[in-house]
Amino acid sequence: MDAKTIQHVNAMPAPTWHRLHMNDTDVEIPAGLSVVHEVTTEIPAALAGAPDAFDAALAAEQVEWEKTHPEKTPEQRAEEERLRTEEEKTTYGGTAYSRYQIGADAIEEARSLARAFETGMGADAYAWMREVAGDPIVIAAPAGEPQEVAVRVAAVPDAVNVAAIDVVAAPNAEVTVVLSVDSPREGTGVTGTSLRVFAGTGARVHVVRTQTDDATFIDMDDAGLFTAENAFIDVRQTVLGGAKAYTGLAGDIRGTASRIDIDTRYLGHHEQQRDFNYTLRHHGEKTLCNITANGVLSGTSKKTYRGTIDLVRGCKGAVGQETETVLLADDGVVNQTVPVILCNEDDVVGNHGATIGHVRPEQMFYLASRGLSQEAAENMFVRAIMEQAAIDAPDEPSRDGVMRLGSHLLDNFEGFLDEEEA
Amino acid sequence: MPKKRTQVADIDRSMYDFRYDDSDEEKLQAGLTPDIVREISAKKDEPEWMLEHRLKSLEIYNSMPVSDWGPSIKGLDMDNIVTYVKPNTDQKSDWDNVPENIKDTFERLGIPQAERSYLAGVGAQYDSELVYHSMQDSAAKMGIVYSGIEEALHGEYADLIHEKFMTLITPRDHKFAALHGAVWSGGSFVYVPKGTKLDYPLQSYFRLNAKGAGQFEHTLIIVEDDADLHFIEGCSAPKYNVANLHAGAVELFVGKNAHLRYSTIENWSKNMYNLNTKRAIVDEGGSVEWVSGSFGSHVGYLYPMSILNGRKARCSFTGITFAGQGQNLDTGCKVVMNAPETSTSIETKSISKSGGVSTFRSSVVATPKAEGSAASVSCQSLMLDDKSRSDTIPAMDIRCKNVDVGHEATIGRIGDDKVFYLMSRGIPEEAARTMIVNGFADPVSKELPLEYAVEMNNLIKLEMEGAIG
Repeated sequence: MDAKTIQHVNAMPAPTWHRLHMNDTDVEIPAGLSVVHEVTTEIPAALAGAPDAFDAALAAEQVEWEKTHPEKTPEQRAEEERLRTEEEKTTYGGTAYSRYQIGADAIEEARSLARAFETGMGADAYAWMREVAGDPIVIAAPAGEPQEVAVRVAAVPDAVNVAAIDVVAAPNAEVTVVLSVDSPREGTGVTGTSLRVFAGTGARVHVVRTQTDDATFIDMDDAGLFTAENAFIDVRQTVLGGAKAYTGLAGDIRGTASRIDIDTRYLGHHEQQRDFNYTLRHHGEKTLCNITANGVLSGTSKKTYRGTIDLVRGCKGAVGQETETVLLADDGVVNQTVPVILCNEDDVVGNHGATIGHVRPEQMFYLASRGLSQEAAENMFVRAIMEQAAIDAPDEPSRDGVMRLGSHLLDNFEGFLDEEEA
Repeated sequence: MPKKRTQVADIDRSMYDFRYDDSDEEKLQAGLTPDIVREISAKKDEPEWMLEHRLKSLEIYNSMPVSDWGPSIKGLDMDNIVTYVKPNTDQKSDWDNVPENIKDTFERLGIPQAERSYLAGVGAQYDSELVYHSMQDSAAKMGIVYSGIEEALHGEYADLIHEKFMTLITPRDHKFAALHGAVWSGGSFVYVPKGTKLDYPLQSYFRLNAKGAGQFEHTLIIVEDDADLHFIEGCSAPKYNVANLHAGAVELFVGKNAHLRYSTIENWSKNMYNLNTKRAIVDEGGSVEWVSGSFGSHVGYLYPMSILNGRKARCSFTGITFAGQGQNLDTGCKVVMNAPETSTSIETKSISKSGGVSTFRSSVVATPKAEGSAASVSCQSLMLDDKSRSDTIPAMDIRCKNVDVGHEATIGRIGDDKVFYLMSRGIPEEAARTMIVNGFADPVSKELPLEYAVEMNNLIKLEMEGAIG
């Protein structure tokens, strides 16, 4: 295939100064790659879903949602128009909303769950990934015993290897989706997963993605989530490898009292680039979200993190939390962080916090007094994140990927699990 | 029975919303052309370099796009804006000699009274020109210069102004900085010599009276090494049914171990597009403190920027923004930490009500030179109803290892738990809610001189009634 540039990937909904180069990114797909589908799955036959399961679930939810969210009456619309006209007269032409504020209102006005649904990397990246991935793997989890499925993408030299996955969890179902992306063979290429998750009423979906590509591959992780009433989705993303790793996730927290939690752990080393974009939109009342990102940057790596909590009008009682901690282990790293809260509702709580820096001098002094040099201490940060990833890996293949990558990066990494067991 | 919601009054603008006939003022035609720019320059008898600067700025203005990330400025048509309006007087140094209508304007705003009470000097601009400038003898004897910038451009500081003018805020910075470069008029020049500390503030007040006009004053302040200055800026305008524009520029040069506090109470009318640019560069051991209250304007883009360019340079920004009906105020600050061991402290508050939109936008950049620097950003937003909007968009770009950057932000309404706590201590509910909202603005008002804190509290004038729904 020809070289391709996908523009405006991982765009944050409310942009800021272009001069900062944080609003979005471009993904460059090199020329000469073939498209392959080398994806292995571990999915019980009973969980195989119809090709249109996701869209059908969203359409069915649209019907249910409209029952509790009736369209405005002509009288209500007339009153809104009257107020708007009055405001235009009393103020100078009405409020001068920005482009993104107008766009957000238009999506809400459309009252379409399908239109509001989005993935984190954006429409162009989604379309390209779905095209190269071919038919999606569809997992339809019924209510009953918790289920576990796995989808594994192995990087193929000189190829694009992307898996498209749709997960539909029936009401009160529980399913764990393990995604592992690894590069057991040397070479260059692109890996990726394009994930859509629909969590029905009361359903619980756990997604664990572990990416351990070598530094010659590009990885693309695109996800879009939807929660019905009382549903819960938690996502743990571990990003350890890849020359460039793009992670985009968008969530429509639609159902009352539903929740999405994101736990991201990442490592940037050498000249690698990490690019994250999270957009969680609270639509339902009493909805919750927690975004936690922890990472270490070493070498001359660069990371951009965009995290948006959008408290949409009507989400009364919603609480959105976001925390990012970045440890800068080397001179030459670049860390860009934009934690955004958009708020169109008063009865809500939105919090975010970010801590960016190095180990405090007094802590470093303590380590030095124990005979640990600064360089050794900084290596420990990298080692710690790799070891934690191995310990927390959801299954053996994911752990094998961490161990394979860790042994390339660190001396004597292989033995630590034995020490743990001992 | 439905619970009552907190009622927060609109800002009482009656003391600002008066106007005088502007028919006796000299106005250039509306719009923006090279001829208009030449005419402004000719009226001021400027040096050739300034005319070249203006024309180059106009070229840049015409070549730059309007920003696409902030509040809409579609309602601002430059073809309808009069960029130069000269009041019917020259600059005076005695209030008695100022024409009656202009004198009455500033008296109603309390400026002469403030000068007598607690200021070391005052500059008053009416539309495009300064009409009054005065400084106490004691300050003059200290070697402090406080004058109109155009006046200074013809005096002994002409070379210094040439060296500094629009070097911090270049015309290429953004479209309205370029516009400012093309049509700037009026403003103040302050020079504080090395080691000089002024105990009382200087103040410039900007009044835009003419309908459909723009105000483009340029403030240039140089605080030499070990010197200290507090500068206050106020602004207001009567309300019209057409757009007015404010695109001023403030350039601050803070020397080694010098200190500058720059306080602003912005209260433009709600037909105003406030597209102002402010920037400070701070040398080793120096510090700049921004205190900013944004209450007026239809649309506001305002982000004072600090460039910490010397070891242990410091900056702080304390700001409050109050966005009511029909207002979209995009405010915040920018900091570049470009030297070792610099420090930054940012604390902002915003209140949105009656459909108003408040956005906190910031950027904190630590360059590879910023080893050992620290920055702390705290942003709190209060939503007083469910018609309004409050967004927080802070950006951090950190390019060195040994830094400590912390950021926290919260958005919400008045917490029931806080009201309950106060009520459990015997405070009636209404009083408890009033205390909480007043306390919210307190970190800003306590940074202002008493008289300005009172003005700010009058501006907010919160009226509480019943319980929040």
